[in-house]
Amino acid sequence: MSFLVPCPNCGRRSVYEFRFGGEVRQAPASDAPPDAWMDYRFNRVNAAGVQTEWWFHRSGCQQWLLAVRNTVSNEVLESFLPGEKEH
Amino acid sequence: MEAKHGDTIAAALYRAGRRIFSRSFKYHRPRGLLCVSGKCPNCLMNVDGVPNVRTCITPVREGMKVRAQNAFPSLDTDFLSITQRFDWLMPVGWYYKTFTHPAMWHAAEPVIRKAAGLGEVCSTAQTEYEHAWMHADTAVIGGGWSGIHAAQAAAERGEEVVLIDDQPTLGGQLRYRKRAEEIPGDLISRLEGAANVRILKCSYCFGLYEGNLLGVLQFNPHSSAAERLIHLRARHIVVATGAYETPLLFPNNDLVGVMLSTGVQRLLHLYGVTPGTRAVVVGTASTADEVCVDLRDAGAEIVATVEPGQIVTATGPGRVRGIRTQTGAFSCDLIVICGPRVPDVGLVAQAGGKLEWSAPHQAFLPKVMPAHVSVVGEATGEMPANANIPLSCSNRAFVCLCSDVSGKDLCDGIAEGFDQIETLKRYSTVTMGPCQGRMCQLSSIGVCAGQTGRSIADTGVTTSRPPNPSVTLGALAGPRHHPIRRTPMHYAHERLGACWMDMGDWRRPRYYKNSPAADENESVLFEYKIVRESVGIIDVSTLGKLDVRGKDSGQLLDRVYTHRFSDLKPGRVRYALMCDEGGIILDDGTISRLKDDHYFVTTTSGNLDFVQQWLEWYLAGTGWDVHICNVTAGYGAMNLAGPKSRDVLRKLTDCTLTSDAFPYMACREAKVGGIPATLLRIGFVGETGWEIHCPAESAEELWQKLLDAGHEFGIRPFGVEAQRLLRLEKRHVIVGVDTDALTNPYEAGMGWAVKLDKADFVGKALLSHAAKQPGRERLVGFVLRGTAVPKDGAAVVVDGLAAGRVTSSRYSPAQMAAVGLAWVRTSKAQEGASIQVRVDGTLANARVTLQPFYDAEGVRLRQ
Repeated sequence: MSFLVPCPNCGRRSVYEFRFGGEVRQAPASDAPPDAWMDYRFNRVNAAGVQTEWWFHRSGCQQWLLAVRNTVSNEVLESFLPGEKEH
Repeated sequence: MEAKHGDTIAAALYRAGRRIFSRSFKYHRPRGLLCVSGKCPNCLMNVDGVPNVRTCITPVREGMKVRAQNAFPSLDTDFLSITQRFDWLMPVGWYYKTFTHPAMWHAAEPVIRKAAGLGEVCSTAQTEYEHAWMHADTAVIGGGWSGIHAAQAAAERGEEVVLIDDQPTLGGQLRYRKRAEEIPGDLISRLEGAANVRILKCSYCFGLYEGNLLGVLQFNPHSSAAERLIHLRARHIVVATGAYETPLLFPNNDLVGVMLSTGVQRLLHLYGVTPGTRAVVVGTASTADEVCVDLRDAGAEIVATVEPGQIVTATGPGRVRGIRTQTGAFSCDLIVICGPRVPDVGLVAQAGGKLEWSAPHQAFLPKVMPAHVSVVGEATGEMPANANIPLSCSNRAFVCLCSDVSGKDLCDGIAEGFDQIETLKRYSTVTMGPCQGRMCQLSSIGVCAGQTGRSIADTGVTTSRPPNPSVTLGALAGPRHHPIRRTPMHYAHERLGACWMDMGDWRRPRYYKNSPAADENESVLFEYKIVRESVGIIDVSTLGKLDVRGKDSGQLLDRVYTHRFSDLKPGRVRYALMCDEGGIILDDGTISRLKDDHYFVTTTSGNLDFVQQWLEWYLAGTGWDVHICNVTAGYGAMNLAGPKSRDVLRKLTDCTLTSDAFPYMACREAKVGGIPATLLRIGFVGETGWEIHCPAESAEELWQKLLDAGHEFGIRPFGVEAQRLLRLEKRHVIVGVDTDALTNPYEAGMGWAVKLDKADFVGKALLSHAAKQPGRERLVGFVLRGTAVPKDGAAVVVDGLAAGRVTSSRYSPAQMAAVGLAWVRTSKAQEGASIQVRVDGTLANARVTLQPFYDAEGVRLRQ
């Protein structure tokens, strides 16, 4: 794995500067049944293709960002800060 | 022995008369120089303890020690060459057919390992490796005619260029072949002088990875490093690696004295060595001319020129003595092969490009290039077409020199059903040796195609994978650095006689040797006693510390932790428990409210990064006014604990320390010994005490002042082991030791820290659910009958069945028995229940208790 992640603050940096935070998922309502929360905690879509996901730039600005990446080719299509776009 | 300046090891050995350079893998047949360009396995030797060195491309150095490999007793006389007489016992795939019982393989393997193989790894070789990182607009691989021109063009466009060549001098094959093209003399010196061009000599690319990252291995970048691994990121890559010559397949094609024409030319023109006196040149009229002229000029006699299809066999034994063809037999001492040329485009294939067989060229040419990669020069196929040559299925026609796989072996494999190139490769191991298919891929595909009646295009190539050429593990690992984190008081601990332990990256004192004779147990009990009876001090600088400020800080902490913090009064401290969405305990620590909008958060030493990221994630996108700063390295911290701790601290600070003014679970900011500090009155070890945080640059000074002030009370430093015992007696849980990835707070007895009546917080839904469940297991304390201490993780047994496990256990002076914490089935988690614990191989009886083992009322903490 040796692709570059475009950090909105710092520019394109080696993926090893970041910590992967998982695919973007919608949390259930706080009063949703336990099964919905267990599914959220443990299950993943794990798409072979384009997904929106979280990255933390631990060796740089130390901020969270969102990236749209093709998990098959590791091509990162775009990135943005939380709150900038719907995700 | 002596060598000339500019020699390679092989050239110097050859000039001195050596002809046998190695013994083959399986049959121990003598092998001599073949390619003289680092592409075949024939010249591998052990140099200065390093095995499998390609001596034909390794420059000599003063004092080098060169040894043979895989030959006993010597290269010239190898007893194991008798193996070839038994080749009929070892046909292709013979391992699978012979060692059908595990015991047979067990007995045979050590013998086979000794008999067959390459070099031996030397564990004492002191080789230094480096890593480097480079960026370029254009990386050009190959410093021959095409590569030099590509680099020049890119440099003239103003780009940052890196030119990579595996030889000590640029020029490629023009260094040893007279060709129509010549490189103008000043072009190379202009390149070498250009500020935007970096030339890496004696370097090769072994792989192209995601994001246009090239792996480059550079030999001897300077005297202190043997190999340098370069991570080279380039916007555009130009492959100008040319085409290399490969051998022909005929009986006895591996004899010493059979050489590729380019190998002969390299010996002649680069090193001034004449490889023979009477030569037979095998090639077509057009390809043979060039090397015939070179040999005649060097004084050798050309006995005959033979078409490749006319060869019957070379004759030895061992060394070339002659060749038999369809038109006659000739005696000679050198057979020069003008073999098919293969475009060196493995990198293209490995990086996801596609190669296609071109019948006119009789070669695999790059057809589809990976993005941002282009290929120029002979590597594209711009070369004279190869002749269509017959292949031999003799058992002495060696396809794979690395593994001694003959044409017959391949035919047998195909007849047995392994008729696809991928399965044939795996069954016969052809192309799987050190040359990685360079010498044998073409012939093996040709034999497979011929035997199955398919075209070469339909037979295809096997999958290319990096690293190709190979790389040493040492180069991949890089320099042997091991980062260590030290606290500000590190050297003070050294002076105090600390015995060290590693906690993640941190070095911490496990205990202090108070006398040379004291062992660990004695020292730990001594430290324990001091803390319980007078006063001790421990360095807790490794704690994770976060400074959290902003008017919404309380809101964020309420959202993420299980307890409430927005209602914490300034000057108070609260235990902080953090769970994930599944209600599983992630971490714990303390949160102190210093001001309305200023909190000080501590975490366990190993989880600081995670907690910081977790808090930032819940903050992200909310727009809340909160700023989080990691101050772990900025503060030193020490815990002063014991009944006399107030007496010590009072000498150094004006802050009022009485329990009225400074109660348990309160925090104050004050100067201690003149140093600004944050004092937290908390009690992990169960005695009156303060956790004192101060700027790291003053921490050693404060530590010393506290030791000095405590001297009259008999103060001693205590280490991690004593702290573990002290906290265990108070039944304080350590997250990650006493809890694991399935533990929720209710099972661990920490339900009191969860405020389910809060607005939504992380884990609320599943924690509400868990609060109503009995749960499968509970974390309880136990007291053993006896003093033998069970190991952490020891089994808990009830009625002869496994019923849980011990998480922490020590001998407790307060109970005068072994005590500990353990997970047990909920039904057994009752005060006074009987369980058994495995200790020293037997089962010891124990009593469950839900109370701390010392000061159950918590009186001493609050004094």
